[in-house]
Amino acid sequence: MSGAFTARSQVAIVGYAQSPIVRHASAPLGAIAIDTVLRAIADAGLTKDQIDGFTTGSLLPTSGAHASVDGVSIVTASWLAEQLGIDARFAAGFQGFGQIPGSVMLAVNALATGAADSVVVHRALHNPPRGRYHVNPMTEAHGAMQWTAPQGFFGPLAMIALPYNEYLQRYGASRDAMAAVLVEARANGARIPWSYWRDKPITEADYLAARVIADPIGVLDCDIPVDGVAAFVLTRADRAQDLPNRPVYVAGYAQGMQHRPRLPMHWPLDDIMDAGFEIARRLEASSGLALRAVDVPQLYDGFSPFVYFWLEALGYCPVGEAHRFVQDGGIRTDGGLPILSGGGALGNGRMHGVPQMLECYLQLAQRAGDRQLASATVGLACHSSPHYGGAVVYTAEPL
Amino acid sequence: MSDVPAKPVPVPDEQSAAFWAAAANHVLALARCAHCGTYVHPPGVVCPGCLSTDGQFAFVPVSGRGTVRSWTVLRDSFLPGFRDDVPFVLVDVELDEQAELRLIGRLVDGPEAPLRIGDRVTTVFDSLAPGVAVPAFALEVQS
Repeated sequence: MSGAFTARSQVAIVGYAQSPIVRHASAPLGAIAIDTVLRAIADAGLTKDQIDGFTTGSLLPTSGAHASVDGVSIVTASWLAEQLGIDARFAAGFQGFGQIPGSVMLAVNALATGAADSVVVHRALHNPPRGRYHVNPMTEAHGAMQWTAPQGFFGPLAMIALPYNEYLQRYGASRDAMAAVLVEARANGARIPWSYWRDKPITEADYLAARVIADPIGVLDCDIPVDGVAAFVLTRADRAQDLPNRPVYVAGYAQGMQHRPRLPMHWPLDDIMDAGFEIARRLEASSGLALRAVDVPQLYDGFSPFVYFWLEALGYCPVGEAHRFVQDGGIRTDGGLPILSGGGALGNGRMHGVPQMLECYLQLAQRAGDRQLASATVGLACHSSPHYGGAVVYTAEPL
Repeated sequence: MSDVPAKPVPVPDEQSAAFWAAAANHVLALARCAHCGTYVHPPGVVCPGCLSTDGQFAFVPVSGRGTVRSWTVLRDSFLPGFRDDVPFVLVDVELDEQAELRLIGRLVDGPEAPLRIGDRVTTVFDSLAPGVAVPAFALEVQS
């Protein structure tokens, strides 16, 4: 048996800021990051000199052929500290794909151990110039890529198409069912001021008419690449009491692991689901809460099939039933499980797990304005595929 | 001729040279641990079966036969060299030799061929350049 999670309710989110989410920002990413982080610190009721920690995940999630430049196409924790002139006691980057839960885990661990007193968790995402996001003119395939690129297996669409088709075939599902997910994500995103898809809901017919790129993945099954930055301020729970916003507490977290060597970007359905079931167990052990008690579950949706995988892995519907569950109104924010109430990545743009974390914060802090849910006591913010990702459980009251 | 650029050719390295040399002769040979007999693909520096790290892998010809676990039809490609090939089918194949020994390759039967999970396939080879061949798959003819 593993021991209890001793950081439970020891750390709280106390402020945030979110930049507008646009296709191509007029300012460099680093400039937007600095402005957004300073706004988050002010929102938390703190000053810059009270921040002594920074965590992030800085991955630029493309397969295109371009270099990552700190402050321009990525923004690391150390770059941010340096530019802000803060001699941070703790600055760290999360290297995996589940970057939002990963960065929160680093921050929580630093705060709970006293390695830092107030930590900025930020995420900056960049959309390279048009036509260069995933397109890669490589004529030689070196290293891991030699096993897949010469066959034409390259990039994340083929990657997610294989387990998605495995799901459809195994459970006799139709790709048309996913329209319910897109309609819900975009309806909620349309209500969010900073969303790229603000005031742009879609219909089932729009979804069905969209171009299919890698069967069964179509263009609308993918979140749209954007420029955008979000920042959160986390501090120790005892300090959070004195700050202006209602604290939102971290109750627990969990990561999923891919523990079998695979070809690059080869994501068999069972690898994804086995890790997902384990994340569910780890989340309940870490938080001491049943996932059934979560009233603000925010499931990751960077590719639409992740919604099915997370729904089933977390036990919100039986395995093989997610495609029916979404069609039967199961994820409608009015009357169903509000898993996309924050719009997700499909309803905001490719902000990775930011929309999930932000919606948990806004709802639990009672800061969601006219989108405020009637019941918002326990939040769950997921990110990435379960087998490379993770999730964080938040509560409105300390446990 | 179109102005479609070249497809990426595999660049053999210390771990992969024997695989590509066999493929050039249209033989599918996979790395097999000399200690525990586990097939390892892609070949690496550690055997996931016994954690041996001395690099004692022999490249052993395998049947090339297996079952389809999933597939996708690519209607566009992020690799410009494949733009004249779309639409094409990629299959995720579990080889008969070992559970979870999986390869991904083009299905030469094309996007119109009816396909189901569990269908039987055999390995064929696509010639990419002089002396370079890449494993692909063909549906086995039902007897």
